Amino acid sequence: MSEFELEMTVNGKPIHRRAKPHQRLLDFIRDDLNLTGTKEGCGAGECGTCSVFVDGKLIKSCLMPVAKAQGVQIETIEGLAPHGSDLTTVQKAFHKTGASQCGYCIPGMVMAATSALRENPDAGIEEIKERLGGNICRCTGYTKIFEAVEIARDVIAGKLSSTVLDADGAGKSYIGNNVRRLDAPSKVAGKLRYAGDMVMPGMLHMQVLRSPHAHALVKSINTSAAEALPGVACVVTAADVPGEDGFGVFVHDQPVMADDRVRYVGEAVAAVAADDVLTAKRALELIELEYEEIPAVFDVEEAMKKGAPVIHDYAAGNLVKHIPIRKGDIEKGFAEADLIVEQAYDTQPVEHAYLEPEAGIAFVDHDDVVTVISPSQNITHHRHMLAKIINKPINKVRFIMSPVGGGFGGKEDMIYQGILALATMKAGQPVRLVFTREESIISTAKRHPAQIKYKMGIKNDGRITAVSFEMISDGGAYGLSTEGVMRKAAILSCGPYDIPNVQIDTYGVYTNNTPSGAFRTFGAMQSQFATESHMDICAEKLGLDPFEFRRINMMRDGAVTHTMQTLGSVSIGRVLDAAEKASRWEKGPVGVRGSERKDVGGDDTRPPCTLGARFRKEEKNGRQEVA
Amino acid sequence: MQRMMRGRGVAASWYGIARTATIDRAGAWAELDDGGTAKIVTGVTEIGEGILTLLSQVAAEELGIKPEEVTIGDNDTARSPEAAHAGATRQTYMIGNSVALACRDARSRLDKELASHWDVDQDSIHAFDGEIWSEGSNLKMTMEEAVDVCKKRGVVPVGSGSFTAHGTGLDPVDGSGSPWQAYVFGCQVAEVAVDTVTGEVQVLGIWASHDVGRAINPRGVEGQIEGGVVQGLGQALMEDYQLEKGHTKTHGFAKYILPTSLDIPQINTTIVEDPDPKSPLGAKGIGEPALVPTAPAIMNAIYDAVGVRITSLPATPEKVLAALAAKAKSASGTMQAAE
Repeated sequence: MSEFELEMTVNGKPIHRRAKPHQRLLDFIRDDLNLTGTKEGCGAGECGTCSVFVDGKLIKSCLMPVAKAQGVQIETIEGLAPHGSDLTTVQKAFHKTGASQCGYCIPGMVMAATSALRENPDAGIEEIKERLGGNICRCTGYTKIFEAVEIARDVIAGKLSSTVLDADGAGKSYIGNNVRRLDAPSKVAGKLRYAGDMVMPGMLHMQVLRSPHAHALVKSINTSAAEALPGVACVVTAADVPGEDGFGVFVHDQPVMADDRVRYVGEAVAAVAADDVLTAKRALELIELEYEEIPAVFDVEEAMKKGAPVIHDYAAGNLVKHIPIRKGDIEKGFAEADLIVEQAYDTQPVEHAYLEPEAGIAFVDHDDVVTVISPSQNITHHRHMLAKIINKPINKVRFIMSPVGGGFGGKEDMIYQGILALATMKAGQPVRLVFTREESIISTAKRHPAQIKYKMGIKNDGRITAVSFEMISDGGAYGLSTEGVMRKAAILSCGPYDIPNVQIDTYGVYTNNTPSGAFRTFGAMQSQFATESHMDICAEKLGLDPFEFRRINMMRDGAVTHTMQTLGSVSIGRVLDAAEKASRWEKGPVGVRGSERKDVGGDDTRPPCTLGARFRKEEKNGRQEVA
Repeated sequence: MQRMMRGRGVAASWYGIARTATIDRAGAWAELDDGGTAKIVTGVTEIGEGILTLLSQVAAEELGIKPEEVTIGDNDTARSPEAAHAGATRQTYMIGNSVALACRDARSRLDKELASHWDVDQDSIHAFDGEIWSEGSNLKMTMEEAVDVCKKRGVVPVGSGSFTAHGTGLDPVDGSGSPWQAYVFGCQVAEVAVDTVTGEVQVLGIWASHDVGRAINPRGVEGQIEGGVVQGLGQALMEDYQLEKGHTKTHGFAKYILPTSLDIPQINTTIVEDPDPKSPLGAKGIGEPALVPTAPAIMNAIYDAVGVRITSLPATPEKVLAALAAKAKSASGTMQAAE
């Protein structure tokens, strides 16, 4: 289909351009008008990062074909506070409260908050929450955003002085001072450019061909038809790696692109750099790939059995890492116990769901330095690995860390930067890759799922005598951070308790599932979930208050940890006291005592959400007024 | 049993700061610049946690200027010193302390020249918020003037800092070792409402108390805790990446359910400060530890509310209903046996 004439008004300016029928309003705003404050988070209308006003109504611009926007008035984040003017009250309030963290969802969130207060300047907190319900934020926990919208509402209504939005001042020190975030103005105004917002002259666009199989041999790759397609600059595969292929955080077991074998669905096999994304996508379809599927394994216990399919030749038993910790005499510890409590626990794989999908741009500079700009959480390590992969000295490899639109550990893996580097070296032009949400979800690491067996020995007086802890985790197809995650999970597994006899084993195992990797807490969340659940189970059996049971066993100053480290000051007693006091905790043995509690439903809780009830009530009131 | 049942639960936690079971290091450069401003150069950037603001606060405090006068040159392996990765709850601890050391180095160059210029003891010189003075005298000038004096004496006030955290590896047989030099501790209480008809769990309140060593920006610490709690809540109740023979069934946010504004409890934070004695700032960290106790506190609260123990995350409505049904069945079984 051919281009068409498009007229619209954007941020008060008349626009008259040619547009392509396949473009979404989001593409036109970002690519043609260079208004990159409007972000793409999911491309499916589910996250709200692309929110704009169309004829005054808040919409998700990823869901609107640009052809439907003929003749409309559009307002984007850049239009709220035009160049040279002050931030709006809503934006200032976001700045004041610290409502932006990574900032990627924030333009959309500011638009939704602005819409909420335009639609109802008196909106209460429950209505504000409902009106922000279509916008996902992964960093802030929403709390500072709610605070910002309420402050903005009251300032706009004249109930609060606008001075509440000002900086707090120096006081006596800048340490312990709520200095407003220095990066917030650029984030609330949509000015900050993330990797996917960056463009370079002569820039090519990359698309990646991914494995449809969980485990298969790559028998042949023929890229000649793809290379011959007009507009294609190059196709890269594992054959283009000039150096030693392999990356990972602890073990370099993952090739930049699959060479002779794919090990999970979504693994990169080849990539195309072309003049535009559509041409690159068409070229992917022309790559001829011959696979031979081989037996796969998806379950950790199956993977550990004799005769299981081997995922990596170096690890015949599919074991990535086993971390053992031993302290005291475990048999003696259980023999001394009055009670032994056993329980199994398991946790699920979790997606990082940062709102910024992976993106990067690579180029070779005038001094032949291969440069990769991306939201990498570990540029230092990535340059070491890339230097080996492309066989260059370290100072000919340069990593620039673009603003990270949420990471949580998920951007520690060099999952695509190597592909970009190979393509820009081959094409001699800058190359950009922006993941779709689906691509991000299927191809990047998850939080390790865990299967845990817990056994605790306790005395009638409440002392823990022994713990044995075993955790098996699915590391997926590649090692990534699995070794470190198993180590941290093991060290912290038995909690901040003084336990004389421990036996801890954590195992990370290869399977043909999506790889697991670093994710905020690096295994400690999984292991301590089991410990803290188990603490309550044991406290109930002893008839003890949960704080009390923890205090009996907690580490004290100078404690010796499970790894035999002698600690200095230990603050667990202080944090237990603080939480007990702040929550007005009603003392009592662990049990089913919720219905008798007097400490629930305080001012420091929210009311239960009854979605829609507010509208029903308003409707009812409306009818009463009519009557 | 009523339809909506309330309950409360508690969980504690601990965490190590910076890289695990290895030596960790980070470097930074500092320069007191014309106009009494400053440049700080270090190898990492913001991932959302507020590190750029925090480093500006640290630099401002150490140099005696305002945070907004600090420019951070960050994020480039070819232009800035190694600071390694943005993870492991190490940014405040590793990079914050290396910036503090670099600033002290730069200040000592400046102070030396100024002491000579004023003919006072170098130790008498103090600076804050853009002014620099000699304690116990009327000698005082702006930082802009002080940098000018220093440069006219032929000295550029630059400095560098390297900070080390001395973790040691674990013994491969018994796991013994000292993985971190700084530890933090936390505790959270959760209050939930369980709908016994639908199985839905709502978290209504969280009381989070965390030791952070020293809170450089208390509001930033709260933000980290609130974000961590909500990620913990997501894992506790709804998030679930599902695979079938290696193919994901949850490839978008319509299938992979995340907490949104209507799921958020009131989060009440108490910051506890037990300063780290082994570092210049005394600050430790909060990024990761904030979410460790959330899920078990919620599971313990569900038990307190309705007497079912969810040991398999997430506690979806389906799982809670199944557990309630199993409990009812076993209770009636027990009653029959008693008859």
